[in-house]
Amino acid sequence: MTLRTEERLATPAPELDLARMLERRRGVRLSIRGRNVTLRGLSAPRSGVLGLLTLLGPGLIAATAGDDAGGIATYSQVGAKYGYDLLWVLLIVTITLAAIQEMAARLGAATGRGLLDLVREHFGIGWTLLMVVVVLVANGGVIVTEFAGIAAASELFGISRYIAVPLCALVMWYSVSRGSYAAVEKVFLVMTLAFFAYPASVVLGHPDWGAVLHGTFVPTLSRESGYLPMLVALIGTTVTPYMQLFQQSSVVEKGVARRHYGEERTDAYLGAIISNLIAACIIIAAAATLRVAGITEVQTAQDAAAALEPAAGKAAQALFAIGLLGASILAAGVLPLATAYSVSEAFGFRKGVNLDFRRAPFFLTIFSVLIFVGAAVALLPGIPLFQLLIGIQVLNGVLLPSELVFIMLLINNRRVVGDLRNGLGNNIVGWGSLGLVSTAVGALLLNQVFGFMG
Amino acid sequence: MVMFSHLRRFTVRDEHGADASLRDLSVDLSAHDYPPVARIIFRHNQRAHLGWEEVRRIDLRQRRIIVSDLARATPLADEPLEKSALLDRDVLDALVLDLANRHSMRANDLWLEEHDGKLELRAADISAWAVVRRLGNGLLGHGSHRHLLDWQDVEFLRGDPSAARGGHDYHHRVASLQPSEIARLLDAVPYLHAAELLELVDKELAADTLEVMRPERQVQVFEELMQERRIGLLRLMAPDHAADLLARLGPDRARDDLEALPKQQRERVLELLRYPDNSAGGIMTNDLVLVESHLRVGEARDALRERLLKPDFVYYVYVVDSLEARRLEGVVTLRDLLVAEPHDGLRETMRRGVAILDPLMSADAAAHRVADQHLAALPVVDKDGRLLGTVTADAALLQLAPASMRGAEPRVFT
Repeated sequence: MTLRTEERLATPAPELDLARMLERRRGVRLSIRGRNVTLRGLSAPRSGVLGLLTLLGPGLIAATAGDDAGGIATYSQVGAKYGYDLLWVLLIVTITLAAIQEMAARLGAATGRGLLDLVREHFGIGWTLLMVVVVLVANGGVIVTEFAGIAAASELFGISRYIAVPLCALVMWYSVSRGSYAAVEKVFLVMTLAFFAYPASVVLGHPDWGAVLHGTFVPTLSRESGYLPMLVALIGTTVTPYMQLFQQSSVVEKGVARRHYGEERTDAYLGAIISNLIAACIIIAAAATLRVAGITEVQTAQDAAAALEPAAGKAAQALFAIGLLGASILAAGVLPLATAYSVSEAFGFRKGVNLDFRRAPFFLTIFSVLIFVGAAVALLPGIPLFQLLIGIQVLNGVLLPSELVFIMLLINNRRVVGDLRNGLGNNIVGWGSLGLVSTAVGALLLNQVFGFMG
Repeated sequence: MVMFSHLRRFTVRDEHGADASLRDLSVDLSAHDYPPVARIIFRHNQRAHLGWEEVRRIDLRQRRIIVSDLARATPLADEPLEKSALLDRDVLDALVLDLANRHSMRANDLWLEEHDGKLELRAADISAWAVVRRLGNGLLGHGSHRHLLDWQDVEFLRGDPSAARGGHDYHHRVASLQPSEIARLLDAVPYLHAAELLELVDKELAADTLEVMRPERQVQVFEELMQERRIGLLRLMAPDHAADLLARLGPDRARDDLEALPKQQRERVLELLRYPDNSAGGIMTNDLVLVESHLRVGEARDALRERLLKPDFVYYVYVVDSLEARRLEGVVTLRDLLVAEPHDGLRETMRRGVAILDPLMSADAAAHRVADQHLAALPVVDKDGRLLGTVTADAALLQLAPASMRGAEPRVFT
């Protein structure tokens, strides 16, 4: 390389650049050793609404993942069958979800490790295997629901599920394992915006606001046989085990340092609140439309779509199908990936996208099996899709306590999380939530056993 | 050869026939390529340990470790084994760094072998089969040679930066890798392991490694270091890298560390931090080699000798009116300086009319300008003609390259 002696180049109007940049970056004034300096290379943290928006990240994504195919089915059914009566459960579950998601985020920031990784190192191989099974069953179940969601949505468009589901499975498998998922993802993300029709439906559907408030703040219990499973399904779909795994791993991947953890807390709390506001909208919309019209059992996607009619009229079905398809495909890609990632982490195998089969056989095998078996189960002939969706949420609710126990034990261990361990308030909410969920699950299991024995 | 999961079920028996149940083995990581077992830890009424010299033999068939006398054992509380590595407590199930392949693996089992009267840790079993075998309680055989990670290629970390500061046992093998390789390896482990490793290696290597780490990882790891170490590393880093790192730490932390930096480095870093990171000033470095224009070539060589001892990459020497005013007059390359006659004046030797950059032009435009000129660097000069720094071809490449080319792995959890 030689130095060319050229004409001295005039820089193109740097003043213009300057003006624009100074406007954007006012920098930070610091006093360093008694000298005041303005450093434009530093930026002060944003404050106000804008600052709050920049905090939204993994927490929002992890929590709103609960509003997927299974979520929509469950919330619609809850609204149609019990009206506003179960809204109080959602209120409690919101507090639970916020607390648990925050603990998962904190665990990730304090250790830089995923949940299964921590379980492996602190509880040994036996408990790890148990957790791996729980994660595979719970997440495998949810993956089936996502493909069921794809099947239901595609049939609303008049496309056979036997074409749509295998096609989606192949596309997701290829794009995710080849690392080109980020580009595809945005399309589906935009599709889920169709669900903004729910809040609109709530407003336009003129629900009985007095009853909504009553249902939210006054707990009611029912001895009716479908009530308890519905309650567990509501908990199971709102606080899904994979949401905590996802939250923790994405905080780890984002690279949050212990000392900068504060922002993640806000993100986790906001995520839980926003996610459950959407859930509440679905329940209220379903109660104000379906239940009022006399539909108390949501059997098909058509039934559920009717809840959007106040906002969308004749387009309700199309809008519902678009939203459902987007949400289901999103989750159908991410979930197998996240599951394979966590399980590989537990055993210390290579993991990550852009790896070929030779370098990451275990990771890619789990990933592929989850996608293709999930798709195949959703295609079993004669399977009632909507009941399947809700049934798997019950399963998730049943598996939830076993995962929560590990989170609670780890987050209270000073050797694991140091100064970021739980305070008293967190422990009360955490153990309380665990107790509540376990009670509900226990009651459900007993109920099933006694019901079975007559 | 014996797998640790199998060995752990052995009984410890002394020559008087007393039995104890084996709990753990401590190994001496500082001693050999293959760390030998230094003590056996067992439960005999209470947890106690014996040095390896008390071990007579290992009876694989009867599953026994025969020792001289259990009565000679030291109760565990008397002499804490905090600083040594215990196979069950610390190593089994933990992440180990595979230096040969530069990623981290999990020690699903450990392979020990007797050699010269010592029991040595030979390898980590990283296969899935090892997990199955451990659950099979010895019914499924005792392991094979496949999927073994030779312990010679292993660096064992505890995931605790304070352990490295506190003088725990380590192999210290990672120092044989290049900084960029260490940085890649550190991307693949939890950040506390990464911080531990940076505490472990010497300052120069740590600073070079820190410079080439991923930005988020850099911040995470840096925050875990003690301030003394942080300042030591910031001092050794190139000022532009140090400025970038401080900018990511946020104003409060940046101020604390800036105040603790020695004056010369502090002034350099502050100078760089004056410019927004999306400007030419934000991507330049001000670690320059300057020479005054009134000198002759021979005098310039003498003046520069001291400065060029530092191993940083130097290509251009900037000719200024004086070291205080720093008005840029021209540029000479090291080759120019070598081939010119010693009594030539620098003003006659230097190249004039060099293309320059304005510190407030956009970083992208500056980077394009450097790339277009096919030069190793372009000087950044303010309105008064004062030389502020240079934007190097490296910095330009980093500015222009898409994220995928900067070694960033695609993210799994978006």
